[in-house]
Amino acid sequence: MHLRERLQHPAAWWLWGLGLATAASRTTNPVLLLLVIGVCALVVTERRDPAIPNPLPAFLVLGAGIIVFRLVMTAILGNGIHGDTVLFTLPTLPLPEWASGVRIGGPVTLESLLFALYDALRLAAILACVGAANALASPRRLLRYLPVTLYDVGTAVVVGLTFAPQLLADARTVRAARSLRGRDGRGIRETARLAVPVLETAFERSLGLAASMESRGYGRAVHTSPRGRRFASALALIGLLGVLGGLYGLLDSSVGGALGLPLLALGVLLATASLAVGARRDGRTGHRRERWEWTETLTVATGALAATVLVIASVQAWPGIVPAQSAQPPPVPLPAALAVLVAGAPAFFTPIPRGARR
Amino acid sequence: MSTRRVIPLRWPSVAAVCLVGVVGLLAFTWPFFVSADFATAHGNDAPWLFAVLLGLLSLVCLAEITAGHLDAKAIAVLGVAAAAGGAMRLLSAGTAGLEPMFFVVIVAGRVLGPGVGFVSGSLAVTTGALLTGGVGPWLPFQMISAGAVGLGAGLLPVTAGSRAERWAVAGYALVSGLLFGLFMNLWFWPFLGPNAPTGMGFVPGAPLATNLAHYGLFYLATSLGWDLPRGVLNAALVVVAGPALLRVFRRAARRAAFGAPVDFDPHSVVPPSPSATAHGASR
Repeated sequence: MHLRERLQHPAAWWLWGLGLATAASRTTNPVLLLLVIGVCALVVTERRDPAIPNPLPAFLVLGAGIIVFRLVMTAILGNGIHGDTVLFTLPTLPLPEWASGVRIGGPVTLESLLFALYDALRLAAILACVGAANALASPRRLLRYLPVTLYDVGTAVVVGLTFAPQLLADARTVRAARSLRGRDGRGIRETARLAVPVLETAFERSLGLAASMESRGYGRAVHTSPRGRRFASALALIGLLGVLGGLYGLLDSSVGGALGLPLLALGVLLATASLAVGARRDGRTGHRRERWEWTETLTVATGALAATVLVIASVQAWPGIVPAQSAQPPPVPLPAALAVLVAGAPAFFTPIPRGARR
Repeated sequence: MSTRRVIPLRWPSVAAVCLVGVVGLLAFTWPFFVSADFATAHGNDAPWLFAVLLGLLSLVCLAEITAGHLDAKAIAVLGVAAAAGGAMRLLSAGTAGLEPMFFVVIVAGRVLGPGVGFVSGSLAVTTGALLTGGVGPWLPFQMISAGAVGLGAGLLPVTAGSRAERWAVAGYALVSGLLFGLFMNLWFWPFLGPNAPTGMGFVPGAPLATNLAHYGLFYLATSLGWDLPRGVLNAALVVVAGPALLRVFRRAARRAAFGAPVDFDPHSVVPPSPSATAHGASR
């Protein structure tokens, strides 16, 4: 079977990443979490967007940093887990009376270290999922799918994205000019001097862009009627009130937790609807419209499968989903591991990104 | 000179901002007053729930504030604020915490009003995240917090262009830098649970004073070292470059003529003179 080279729909990759992140958030089993990270790395290696620099390594480094930081902090300051297996003992630092809850140094147990490691590994796995989504589909491709009410805001973000690198180039130019005049360009005062010409240029360019947008009839792209606008505002406000009431019910169980979740869901629904009904846009054709085909559906399905299996596993408390902190390797529930592995299948059945082969 | 309001805040927007503000406050401070059984049952899901919820609500808030008020020029000015914020993020990607981004947001909110302050704050964070590929569950929390920083800058009760403005805004930059860190830690603090250092972790169901004391220690031990330099850097930037930058923004706002009243009266239109028509036709 041959698939034409193309980039998959960004929403498919982000939903897949969210599913895998949900799966990772439900377990602290190190084997499962390492599997999640491995799946992310595999899919990114096979199918990443070749047009952008790969952000996954940065996310992995961040995750590794979190693990190391947690382990060091746990060794020095301890955590809430008290174990019997003392690995080594650090010298204790005496502290004043007011900080009585804190200890620095003392015995370091295997249990507390393992707890810290498993928990940090879970955060690292979630970060890997987010990083994989960033690498597979650049989030700025999602800007196209903003609701019409946010069309103008989306345009402002696109203007910002386009101008930010130019701003840096301008700053370099001004700095070079100043260094030619014998300034070394360091220090806070020099930075401040830099800001004025750079921002002046940016405004010049941006207002020029605005003038050209206006002369091309940009302002007529979005239609709002006062009545539709009022309707949307009412929906948004009622939705926000619903969200607030639902949260109150959820957080304060004495009021009645049963009412909280439906109220919250209703509020979220109304608030989302207010984004959809607030304005409408002229029908227009898109350049290089992204398509949703069976590979996209299957990608989302694999992510959703992993999330579903792990959620069921954590609700039914399968052995090994939240392993005990002991020296023996924890048991790995086979269905959960298989579900995570299936989430790696998009590395093989999805179309190859355009420009990845040369 | 009066402050030009590029985005006027009408009562639905004000109500929406207030409601989202209350939800945002809940999203950050729920660990302090939630019941013990909720915390043990949902302590791990709550940050995700709030991340999704705040993401949606910040979009609703942006839509409410901007709907029907943005013309091409307002978009251009917001674009510059977003670009400046994003560029600052690119520059400071290596030095965690030293983010001069707030400086731009505060100046924009100061000159162009609280509405623009909110929008440019959240857009600057979004642009920075999109540029560095750092879109994650922290983004909604940052959008709300940075928006609040810009909003507050627009609401500062000092007259524009006065001598006091410089110091008031500098003080505001320092305080908001510290508060931003204080609130941003809260979104992941309950996550740490028993994994936080002894005496600094979130204890579900413990009295408010205990959790506040624990969080205070946690903040002092981990975050203050980053937040204080950021606050001081932003305040210093405001003192040194603030007046000049305020002038740049005010000039841009004047040139874009946001305040200019538009009235069109068909009777007052001067009919074109014959010579001008002839000139036009001959071309």
